[in-house]
Amino acid sequence: MLLSSLLLIPFLGTAVLLLWPGKPAPGYLRMVTIVILVLQLLASALVTLRFDPAQAGMQLQEFHSWVPGIGLDYALGVDGLSLPLVLINAALTLVSAVITRDIDKRPRIYFAMLVLISGAVNGAFLAENLLLFFLFYELELIPLWLLISVWGGANKAYAATKFLIFTAFSGMLILGAFLGLALLTGSVDFSLTPVLSDRLAMGGQIVLLGALLVGFGIKIPLVPLHNWLPDAHTQASTPVSVLLAGVLLKLGTYGLLRFGLQLFPEAWAKLAPGLAIWAAISVLYGSLAAIAQTDMKRMVAFSSVGHMGYVLLAAAANTPVSLLGAVFQMVSHGLISALLFLLVGIVYRKTGTRDLKVLHGLLNPEKGLPFTGSMMIVAVMASAGLPGMAGFISEFLVFRGSIAAFPLATLLSMVGSGLTAVYFLLLVNRAFFGRLSITPDSEDPRRDARLDVQLAVVSPRETIPAMALVAGVVGLGLLPMSLSRLSDASLTALALQAMGVS
Amino acid sequence: MPVISDDLVVSQRSLEAEEVAAKLLAGETLLTDTPDHLLEVVGVLESYGEVLDAYSKNLIFQGEQQFLNPFPLFKYLDGDLSPAKIWRHLNHDRINFEYAEYCMKAMLWHGTGGLDAYLDSEPFRENCQAIINAKRRRDPLLALLHPLFPQFLIEQIRNAATTHALGQFWRVMSDIFIDLAKAERDGSVRSIPAVVEFIKQGLVAAAANPIHYGVSIGGQHFWVLPPEAGLTFLVDVAVPYVEAVFLRGMPFLGTVSFNAQAQQISPDQARFTYGALYADPLPTMGAGIPPSLLMQDMYRHLPEPLHQWYLERTRGEGDVREKICRSFQKSMFCVTNAAINGTMPHPLSSSDPEQQAANRAYAGAWAERLALGRTDCLGR
Repeated sequence: MLLSSLLLIPFLGTAVLLLWPGKPAPGYLRMVTIVILVLQLLASALVTLRFDPAQAGMQLQEFHSWVPGIGLDYALGVDGLSLPLVLINAALTLVSAVITRDIDKRPRIYFAMLVLISGAVNGAFLAENLLLFFLFYELELIPLWLLISVWGGANKAYAATKFLIFTAFSGMLILGAFLGLALLTGSVDFSLTPVLSDRLAMGGQIVLLGALLVGFGIKIPLVPLHNWLPDAHTQASTPVSVLLAGVLLKLGTYGLLRFGLQLFPEAWAKLAPGLAIWAAISVLYGSLAAIAQTDMKRMVAFSSVGHMGYVLLAAAANTPVSLLGAVFQMVSHGLISALLFLLVGIVYRKTGTRDLKVLHGLLNPEKGLPFTGSMMIVAVMASAGLPGMAGFISEFLVFRGSIAAFPLATLLSMVGSGLTAVYFLLLVNRAFFGRLSITPDSEDPRRDARLDVQLAVVSPRETIPAMALVAGVVGLGLLPMSLSRLSDASLTALALQAMGVS
Repeated sequence: MPVISDDLVVSQRSLEAEEVAAKLLAGETLLTDTPDHLLEVVGVLESYGEVLDAYSKNLIFQGEQQFLNPFPLFKYLDGDLSPAKIWRHLNHDRINFEYAEYCMKAMLWHGTGGLDAYLDSEPFRENCQAIINAKRRRDPLLALLHPLFPQFLIEQIRNAATTHALGQFWRVMSDIFIDLAKAERDGSVRSIPAVVEFIKQGLVAAAANPIHYGVSIGGQHFWVLPPEAGLTFLVDVAVPYVEAVFLRGMPFLGTVSFNAQAQQISPDQARFTYGALYADPLPTMGAGIPPSLLMQDMYRHLPEPLHQWYLERTRGEGDVREKICRSFQKSMFCVTNAAINGTMPHPLSSSDPEQQAANRAYAGAWAERLALGRTDCLGR
């Protein structure tokens, strides 16, 4: 029942928000949402306390037969792969609700959708049944589409539609793969039992795995399936970007590990070299594209494309160390990208622009955004993988775990890691150093050099969520054992299982 | 969706050289006469006066008590070596005397006027030799250093002489600014023209004050700047100070972005425009920007009415030092205005065409330089 509470709290919370009598003020709804999400976070913490890290398999399992005719069971379980993601989902959805400001239209729907997404993501991470996973995977799609299309930027309709088309196609491929499995094996067993050659020929396995790779590759997203992400981020509001980058992209990487690597270990081993190269291309493309961006948010979005490539590389290498690196990368990317989007959101709110050709000198101690800028520097250092922060641990584990299996792809990915420092230093140098400026240069340089810029101060309630994320990023960097303890046994078992069959 | 709001970026009109010259010749103040300007200028000059009082005492203490001290560890303590004072110093509960040294070095480096000429003269060299000979007998380290680096101790004495002279200059300026605040409180100064006139009268009264400096070594008195050098307050110290600190200044990273190899900083020091009248207040409190130290010091002595006025504007306490810097710049335009008025070759009321032409030429020369400065602060 404990795992069910992770679904009940957000789903009942959604119902409460939708059915709340009268016309409550947005601030009131926000408080109710925060209470619901704090309860969810506490329940997730309770799951962590009950979780036995020494055990490799699924724990706290719940099973109820739901529609046996089509193989749909209400089967939940948690292991060292899903638990960190459940925790980060709870934490970042709470952050998203806390940083939500100025919701002037339909606040009830907005907060309900936020909580609904969180519940659906929990369901996807906890599902032990393929169809149940798919239901939750699809469930988060419509609320997110609404969050972009209703509360997004000027070009929201275009971005939301693009997101919908891409992710709907992703869902179709995943569902197709799952149903194809039933068709090809002649059984409606949608459990997580590995599909080996004795059940399905290698050709069939590769076709199904290929569908899953493209399906989850869209969600992650991997190059060249990434096209929807920069637009979605650019048009989404800051809380939605935090949720999208921090949590929702992880559905793709989680899906790769759970339903690609774990379900099709033999086919995975066959495709792994190609996947490693795909990962390196994704890393390099994401990094190079980020360098070319002048919109801070698009730059962070492309950095996500690059950094998610590390997870594919680690999954392709499929060693205990690399898989641990994959989980670390998912968690640390969740924290770091959420922090980056949050800080870019603060800059945008205060200056009205994210254009790196326009913004300068925001570290100005008296009239700029010095604390926001300082946290931005911490965030970009973490993203570039500097020691002492979460990014270093995850990248080190990924590269250390992958280099023996795929040296070329790993080295190319390392170059991508170096490029992260390049584009983020460009961002920091352009936007935060020099004379404070938030408007384009005019034809009179003397006038430009004398402009007095009067930005509003950043209130503590705007910076506290960012400070919490900074604490998480540094905490994970200094105490990585706290996370590896949770995941080690499960990931070692997953890697050994795959190695045993390959 | 946030959009760039016009009120986030404020632009004020800068004055042209002709406008500056016209104002000077018409006897108008450069700074617009408004109640806010009066509050800013008098308030910030009062706090500046308090700070200058501390700077002055310390510079004179350094000149007299830390003379040729090879390890001046306690030079900022004014001779008070009590644990409480040392603790406050280490805890940075103190005036930033480093800024006073920065101004001294600016004067020494730009080296204009009678003081600098005397520091390069033969009588000064002879005085130095006598001082060094007396000092060498008592200090083995200096006895060793002097033969190795014959210019070193002389340069240190030039440092000490400039330090002491600046201390004497600021002593006078501190009193003028504190008296100005009293005059404003008792109602005798009620406008910006009255402020400029008050400062001008103070400068004129002190113009001929002698500047001299002597040290005592082993009970024996030595002159560094003797009375017979004939150095006086206005011409030999005040004017070089204005030249070095108000006008030329020094380019430092954080306020001026330059590529030295591309010679973006003029090789001719006389063409420097990095002084107080040209400085950009926006980077105040940025790393490594010496005037920030002065703003911090003035913040500690800010009169309450002005503090309240700052709190009601923009970021309140958050950008108060930057606002002090803006007010300080207005104040320094008033002081410069007073100095120009006080040194005008002929009375502005003169009807003699030759005298008028001389005045026009004088005002025009100043206007050319001032128009490059932050005259945009004068209209608000």
